[in-house]
Amino acid sequence: MHVSFQPPTLFEGVVTKKISGAYTVAAEGHNQTCTVAASLRSHALADSIVIGDVVRCNTAGQIQEVLPRRNQIARRAALSMPGAYAHPQVLAANLDQVVPVIAAADPKPSWNLLDRYLVSAESAEIPALVCITKGDLVASEPQGEEIEQVAAEYRAIGYRVIITSALDGSGVQALQQALRGRLSLLVGKSGVGKTSLLNALLPNLGLRVQAVSRAMGKGRHTTTHQEIFSLPDGGALIDTPGLREFGLWDVDGEDLAWCFPEMRPLLGQCRFRLDCQHDEEPGCAIRRAVNAGQISPYRYQSYLKLRAEA
Amino acid sequence: MNAPFSAQRRYTRSAGIKDTFGDFTCLNCGNLVPANSLLSGVRNRNHCPYCLSSRHLDLYEPGDRLSACKERMAPLGLALKHSSSRYAGHTAGIPAATGQGELMLVHVCQGCGKLSANRIAADDDSSRLWAVFEGQARLDLARLGALNASGITLLGAPQTALVQVRLFGRN
Repeated sequence: MHVSFQPPTLFEGVVTKKISGAYTVAAEGHNQTCTVAASLRSHALADSIVIGDVVRCNTAGQIQEVLPRRNQIARRAALSMPGAYAHPQVLAANLDQVVPVIAAADPKPSWNLLDRYLVSAESAEIPALVCITKGDLVASEPQGEEIEQVAAEYRAIGYRVIITSALDGSGVQALQQALRGRLSLLVGKSGVGKTSLLNALLPNLGLRVQAVSRAMGKGRHTTTHQEIFSLPDGGALIDTPGLREFGLWDVDGEDLAWCFPEMRPLLGQCRFRLDCQHDEEPGCAIRRAVNAGQISPYRYQSYLKLRAEA
Repeated sequence: MNAPFSAQRRYTRSAGIKDTFGDFTCLNCGNLVPANSLLSGVRNRNHCPYCLSSRHLDLYEPGDRLSACKERMAPLGLALKHSSSRYAGHTAGIPAATGQGELMLVHVCQGCGKLSANRIAADDDSSRLWAVFEGQARLDLARLGALNASGITLLGAPQTALVQVRLFGRN
């Protein structure tokens, strides 16, 4: 007769930090560094324990079980070589809010990347809050007007957009209020100022930040691990390393239009009903709305671009 | 009420504006149209050289590909560009016309009625261009009014010799 022995479960906690194989688990007001139990190591979940996961640990400080996730944000993992097996990379789990971070300048804003983050959040049914950093760089420049236009465009769709500056502190208070009581995930490419924003929200933190490379015009990948930081007014914020690519995962091409909230009320109103791809089809309600100025042509182009990838 | 998106000030997406989007199949005649500028003499090929039809793909400026209309654009008439360039100027012996720039082909969208004036390419069918020029005399008043409102002045009978020289040369 085979008898298996497992040390008794002592505590249940949330993974707040992940560096290589070491996980910091917060439970009942204290943090403990844990590893993955041998019984879980062979399980597919062991590789994908992420920040925000609720886990059960034993007395030896080993994660024995990952509890079912409420939600998760995943991207298509960067492939090691062309043609390699595509697989998802889960960034964080059990979130209340996703905060895509875009710099107003330096590096130049990539609105299509913002749409990718938003589609990913919509697909996971997690609310999104758009944060545009480095507002001070464009305050008295012509690009400032462009940033306001884009912000207005996203606000018209229903997203909350906050323009901030870690340098002069503008917008930080509004952001603080929007983050209160929620577990939020900061996502954005390297150099947009995610960690600077965190330093502005938590002045005593003093996390390491670096300016964008002058030679390449890109971020320097200063943050190299994920970590949850508690906010003084309640809630917490997950800082992540910069993401150069954000390939959509688990977003079906057929459902993509649903991930654009402004297109959602029009679904099923096309001549080909739900079979319409909203590209070349005659009698398409979404194209009609773009032509009528009810849907942003830029967002529609983002839809087509993502549709071609899905 | 907010202004419609299409009326708002445009801004540049990361991809920016491209000169060419590659070869395409004409929506009207089905011919494959090469986009190579060595053949057409233009960087932004926007109409078929065989039937002169185009497609409504641009919204704010040539090459932005932001329009969702995508309907066929039919050739409507010929006009002259307001500013002269090294490709065209005053033609000796021909009476001066409004603007002395290049010959432009005016298109109208069959879906939304948008008008646009496009550069003529080197390999455009000259006899078809001539047929378009002759056909513009039959345009109705409503269409002429829309052209005027858009600031486009079609060439008329007084410019016949000019068009002839531009399309077929002096002999």
